[in-house]
Amino acid sequence: MWKAYSAGYIKQNRAVCASVRAAALIAALFLSFLCGLFYNFWQDNIANVTEEEGPWHGRITAEIDEQEISMIRSLEHVKSVTVKEGMPGEDGTVVDIIFDPVRSIVTEMPLITETLGLEEGDASYHYQLLSLYFVRIPGDEYPRLVMPFYLAIIVLVCISMLLVIYNAFAFTMHTRVHQFGIFASVGATPAQIRICLLQEAFRMTIWPILVGILMGVVLCRGVMAAIVKMAEQIVGGRSAEFMYPPYLMGCTLVLSATTVLIAAWIPAKKMSRMTPLEAIREGEEIHLTRRKHSLIMSLLFGLEGELAGNFLKAQKRAFRTATLSLTLSFMGFMLVQCFFTLSDISTEETYFARYQDVWDIMVTVQDTGIDQVRQNDVEALRKLTGVEDVAVYQKAEAVCKMPEDWASGELMTLGGLEALTDGSVISAQGIYTVKAPIVVLDDESFRQYYEQFGTGNKTDWSRGEGGTEFLEGTVVINRVWDSLHSNFRDRQYISFVQENQEKITLDGADSDKRLTEVPILAYVKKTPVLREEYADYALIQVMSQSYWETITALKSGAERDTYIRILTDEDISIEQLSELEKKAEQILGGSYDIESENRLQEKVRNDEMIAGYKYILGGFCVLLAIIGIANVFSNTLGFLRIRRREVARYLSVGLTPGGVGKVFALEAVVIASRPMLITLPIIIVLMGMMIKASYLNPMVFIRRAPVSQMLLFMAAIYVSVAAAYYLGGKKVLGCNISETLREDFV
Amino acid sequence: MTALDGIDLSVEAGEFVAIVGASGSGKSTLLHILGSVDQPTAGKVLIDGMDIASLNQKQSAVFRRRKVGIIYQFYNLIPTLTVEKNIQMPLLLDKKKINREYFDQIVTALGIADKLQALPSQLSGGQQQRAAIARALIYRPAILLADEPTGNLDQKNSKEIMDMLSLSNRNLKQTILLITHDEKAALTADRIITIEDGRIVSDMRR
Repeated sequence: MWKAYSAGYIKQNRAVCASVRAAALIAALFLSFLCGLFYNFWQDNIANVTEEEGPWHGRITAEIDEQEISMIRSLEHVKSVTVKEGMPGEDGTVVDIIFDPVRSIVTEMPLITETLGLEEGDASYHYQLLSLYFVRIPGDEYPRLVMPFYLAIIVLVCISMLLVIYNAFAFTMHTRVHQFGIFASVGATPAQIRICLLQEAFRMTIWPILVGILMGVVLCRGVMAAIVKMAEQIVGGRSAEFMYPPYLMGCTLVLSATTVLIAAWIPAKKMSRMTPLEAIREGEEIHLTRRKHSLIMSLLFGLEGELAGNFLKAQKRAFRTATLSLTLSFMGFMLVQCFFTLSDISTEETYFARYQDVWDIMVTVQDTGIDQVRQNDVEALRKLTGVEDVAVYQKAEAVCKMPEDWASGELMTLGGLEALTDGSVISAQGIYTVKAPIVVLDDESFRQYYEQFGTGNKTDWSRGEGGTEFLEGTVVINRVWDSLHSNFRDRQYISFVQENQEKITLDGADSDKRLTEVPILAYVKKTPVLREEYADYALIQVMSQSYWETITALKSGAERDTYIRILTDEDISIEQLSELEKKAEQILGGSYDIESENRLQEKVRNDEMIAGYKYILGGFCVLLAIIGIANVFSNTLGFLRIRRREVARYLSVGLTPGGVGKVFALEAVVIASRPMLITLPIIIVLMGMMIKASYLNPMVFIRRAPVSQMLLFMAAIYVSVAAAYYLGGKKVLGCNISETLREDFV
Repeated sequence: MTALDGIDLSVEAGEFVAIVGASGSGKSTLLHILGSVDQPTAGKVLIDGMDIASLNQKQSAVFRRRKVGIIYQFYNLIPTLTVEKNIQMPLLLDKKKINREYFDQIVTALGIADKLQALPSQLSGGQQQRAAIARALIYRPAILLADEPTGNLDQKNSKEIMDMLSLSNRNLKQTILLITHDEKAALTADRIITIEDGRIVSDMRR
């Protein structure tokens, strides 16, 4: 049957086969991409665990002699044995064992402990590593979900791809039910029909599957390269090498081919079960199984509207792939665009816009206290051309026992901290324990900061070791977020405490009970100009470096790193800023372990990253849309015979060619509009919820809503569907009505 | 391939004419040309003095809608519309009001009054053909063209359909051209024309 029928059919019905080919290509691409990605993630997980905890599968910790070690080595599935004497925290000898295959640990470890007469607790398993090899040891109670998660995603993708391909196959097979009815009527067995259809499926999809797999590999490589590039820029990020071994490609091929063949098998089986007469009758007619009213279409567009609406209802199954793919693609596209627009606005408002005048270059001096940053280096930075201000600071954690009666009147009127924090900070015996993070500024920056509030309460400057003047005490940032009357995006503050105390008692964050009384220099509302987010409901303290050095009791709360914030001229370009960053690195790089960022470069990198995500996800959406469009083309071009008969009937009772054109146009509009009509309300509701949850002004989003992208995508769908209908309609309308009406089918 | 050739035929208003002939003799082509479903490559087709061969596509469609009712062997009902909508289609296309009384009269006479909300696929062959006849009659056309209307029906249904056509011819004075292989059906007509290779070989009035 292949030679006699199928080969010719595939050759002559390229449009009909196109949707199957497109679906197979996309399925193989997705599967290949995901398999590759997860394989690389899997390998990276293994490398990560191995690097951190060692490559051992099983470990024996006991007094063990050479002979017993030889016995372990002699076991069939023991690949290697490493003996470690005197490991810290371990009593006795530590023997690390690696098994091959890994699964044999389940039987051989108990055998080892039993043979050597060891206690159960002497043997331990590397649960995390073993779980990555799908080996679950009884007694491991921790839910290790990495591999099940990867597998679940792949199974889900397989099922969704299977549905898409199934629809494409079901459609191409349905168009030929009549022909297979004729085959059956002249003696083809159901098995022959099934085999013929599967053979067809194989021939149609083999090349798309192979090409799809290769495209998936390339895509995976690109994505991995991007991930690695990003990871390398992150502190502590590991580099990873892209891997796609031949056996993985073999697995992907088998997975894709199985998905495609199952998708083909289901409709093939259904078809082979039909009786010849059923098949002959079924194939040639477009009919509804139940009476339908296309009420809206009928009201809006009259009889032509009803004809178009009813045709689409009758052909619902044939257009299912198109509807599904176009809807998913449009929804995916819109979600990606809207989500990134929202995230863009959010990042800009909460990060780039908020910090626009706060920092230009940030240098993190790692594992260095503020006192270890040399004044000469800071001065050198201040002298760089283009630099307006340099602040060196370190952060420290502390807490403050705040009596209720010190709280401000505004705070207590609102119900105290309990009301603002929704009960997460409560008063115990009339005392609140609140965070009191300390910002330690270099003396020069502190002086500038302090002096902007006028003379302040104190004027008796002391002289520090470096000869700089400093004030003994802390500046209290006297404000707390009124979370009852404002949201996190547009915070309103009220006074935290009454400004009547001259000292504050701070406690080291590590609860070593070393209370320190610190004089209050001033109560202010404004924080220093730094790129810092402070904890909510914290009583922030700002001190000078010289004073900080005198209060040793709080030093245990100090963070390990020191930061240098550099502000430059307002109109600096990205090139100038990068140049300045390099100079700063040159000044500091020799003496300290540093990491630096510059605001403009970070914005560019952030934009590039978002654009990259948009391209990758948008690309998937476009691929899905292609499946849908291919299905529309195969419907309009593949159903020609049936369509001609239908149109001939319209014409024979007096519908004009213009009327038929109107029917086609309405069908095309409905097909192209359906994805939008389904998607837009969902998107609007989802975005509304997200905007509400993120306390964003809806007008800000509406002004930047991805309308042009949406219109472009919609236009592409409309144009493609219109083209499919134009080509199909031209062929249908070019037919001879009398010839078509004469064709019989029973 | 020659579909019809030297035909020269005139039919009086109100005549019931049966056209018979072997397969491939051109009967159906003749009927389609008369129904303006097909266009002749040469010659004239005058109906009430109007040459329908010169009509453009739109004019042809309007002609089919208003002037002729065509009944096919395979009914050619629109499968996605109810029987009622199928019957009313020529009027709906013209945006004309349905004459309920006449509509009820036809469907009752044809015995499909209780099938109006069904889809064509839910009817038997005889019922579908009755619906097709009702559609052909709804505009009260002057000419009824029937292409093997009983070719797909059993004897009982065939007889009933032929009786209805006769009745229509007598009561509504409609001109009927019937194409058939069925001798019995042909004998219902007043005039029997035999065609062979596109030529009239016999024209017999009864």
